[in-house]
Amino acid sequence: MVPVRAIPARPHRQGGLLALLVLPLVLFLVVVFLWPVARFLALSVDNSDISGNLPRTISALTDWTPEAGLPAEPVFVALVEDLAEARRAGQEGVLAQLVNQRVVGTRFLVIKTAKDAAAGKLDMRPVRESLLAKYAGWDNPALWRALWRETSAYTDYYLLDSLDLMRGEDGSITRVPEDRAVFLDVLVRTIWISALVTVLCTLLALPLAQAIVGAPPFWSRLMFALVLFPLWTSLLVRTVIWIMVLQKNGPVNATLLGLGIVGEPLNLVYTRFSLYVAMVQVLLPMMVLSIVAVMRRVPATYMRAALSLGASWLTAWRRVQLPLILPGILSGGAVVFVFALGYYITPMLVGGPTDQMVSSYIAFYTNNTLNWGLGAALSLQLLLILLLFAFLYWTASALLRRKVGG
Amino acid sequence: MRIYLRTVSAAALCLAASTLAVSAAGPITVVGWGGSWDKAYKDGVWDKYTEQTGIPIVHEEWAGEVAKVRAQVQAGNITYDVVSTEAPGMEIGCAEGLFVPLTPEITGDPENYLPGTLHECGVASDTWATILTYNTDVFKGDAGPKSWADFWDVEKFPGKRGVYAQAQFTLENALMADGVKREDMYKVLSTPEGVDRAFAMLDKIKPYAVWYSTTPQAIQNLDSGEVVMSDQFNARITDEVMKEKKPYAIVWEAGYFYGTDYWAVVKGAPHEQDALDLLKWFSVPENQAGFSKLYAYGTGRKEAAAMIPPEWAANLPTSPEHIEYATAYDNDFWTENKEALEERFKAWQAK
Repeated sequence: MVPVRAIPARPHRQGGLLALLVLPLVLFLVVVFLWPVARFLALSVDNSDISGNLPRTISALTDWTPEAGLPAEPVFVALVEDLAEARRAGQEGVLAQLVNQRVVGTRFLVIKTAKDAAAGKLDMRPVRESLLAKYAGWDNPALWRALWRETSAYTDYYLLDSLDLMRGEDGSITRVPEDRAVFLDVLVRTIWISALVTVLCTLLALPLAQAIVGAPPFWSRLMFALVLFPLWTSLLVRTVIWIMVLQKNGPVNATLLGLGIVGEPLNLVYTRFSLYVAMVQVLLPMMVLSIVAVMRRVPATYMRAALSLGASWLTAWRRVQLPLILPGILSGGAVVFVFALGYYITPMLVGGPTDQMVSSYIAFYTNNTLNWGLGAALSLQLLLILLLFAFLYWTASALLRRKVGG
Repeated sequence: MRIYLRTVSAAALCLAASTLAVSAAGPITVVGWGGSWDKAYKDGVWDKYTEQTGIPIVHEEWAGEVAKVRAQVQAGNITYDVVSTEAPGMEIGCAEGLFVPLTPEITGDPENYLPGTLHECGVASDTWATILTYNTDVFKGDAGPKSWADFWDVEKFPGKRGVYAQAQFTLENALMADGVKREDMYKVLSTPEGVDRAFAMLDKIKPYAVWYSTTPQAIQNLDSGEVVMSDQFNARITDEVMKEKKPYAIVWEAGYFYGTDYWAVVKGAPHEQDALDLLKWFSVPENQAGFSKLYAYGTGRKEAAAMIPPEWAANLPTSPEHIEYATAYDNDFWTENKEALEERFKAWQAK
């Protein structure tokens, strides 16, 4: 529709200079962003804290199978050597934590055995008998089965866990028990909430953007400033205000009660409703900015032309205005959706436990239970969704460009 | 403007003072639990130390993650000197050798400590309890809840409940509501059936629960009337009642569990010796009593408890008035099971 003149290619030297100028930024991104993120994501398959700390035990266990009962003396000798080594390297705490993740109730067993092993208290032979006599716990078949399975430097334990799957007794992949299955629900919930927030933002932003673009300069600037104003306010403040507004004795409930619309205060805060309200309010400016930027470039004469040719306002808007501002809606939608996917503070503050999104679980596992493997696996999940939607956005805008251009 | 000038000159003074102090020992970085807890320690204890010795103390806050200490030790970049950690963290950190073992030379005679307040690597920083509290404006006079069963009884006591969004504390409370005696608590919780029983009880309260993960959230919910009763740490409620004149009551007789946090010195810390000196000073009863006088948590030394005015001492979880309703948290149980139970709790919550 709009004729596009081909831009002449830039001289080669200038491109080289540009690359040189961009280089520091690229290096900066690699060092402080890409590298640490990749390191963290690698934790989702990393098993070296277990296998790397028990090399002798693992090789001694190669000839063993769970059916054989408790392992024989050489395995116990290897175990004591490994644990002493781990203790000297200061690794026994991490090892104990990871073993305890797989077999609950083994944390002190590992720490104490490692301490005694490093102090040389477990040298009398046969080691197997003295170890079994000294600690209750090394006779637990589940513990040996777990160690026997951790032979590789890599593990799918966390990736499976993040999809509500696990390895059964025989090593095959099964669903985790119903009372522990949560991540698939959370995943669907995260995408659903983000999508709905994006749609709501679009529906609210369109008339607003139209009003801003169409208003006289003073009012246009004023409205624009009012849209920007929340962006300059702390996210935390904007979110917490909603708790005040929506709580049982807050102004919304007071108004509804006062007008006699409801008999008793509604449950508004800590619900999915309050989450949508807060998220839409926080993210709306992004959408408005993006649409206004595109809308400003569309001459008002196009709409007028369509109207003068007899189209109804709605038809004119739908067939002339909408296609022209679609790139703005798409890019605004992409920004809102991507932001919403990673939301953590807002759901934590104004949502209930059934409204928490993936990020909240990532924070829980990395900060609270220090299960970094699972935290990394969930992060990977989130990243893959992001890439998928980035690809969809890219495809959609490429198609759009071709359609408008042709 | 005058306030501005005063702030600026105060800042300049601080700057000057800190430049002067470089030649002296410290500053010692003390890591506590934040909020009013930290403030009570600063006002009641550490400021006196700085006054007496000239050694400045830097306050940091954390949530008791011993893994942070481990990471610092492994990276060889230790920034914490003294930390307050919950008992399970104490057990793990001490067993792993992250904390410096304390000798009687530092702590004083072990005989002078209340049971459970002295550890191989730590001295009690505070003994706290998780109690049932309710709004006395909603349930007036004798009409308040008396037990955890009442907390679960939404017919007799209508309204939402504030519940701490974690397994520890909450599972114990649920089982108390289900009639489990406190002394049998960990026998029951150690069995899968016992854990299922606790979660079954939680299923019943779920529709009425408003979850919180920080104390300020819990207080805000009580304050706004969003919840009519809540579980909470006792000293925070006492603080609100005494300082803010809030209408809350603590139901000690419903039964409560208490735990102890410990001060520990990180092995290889930049000011390890200064930190040990600090704990030696802290182990003097008069010095540690400063905390309990400001905050309704107990400390370790028996003599310190005797120095607290009796009318205030009644607010402490270790006071003789309430101790018959109390049982200690089982640290070994929670050290082994915390991760698994918290993860199950989080999954249960999300359903």
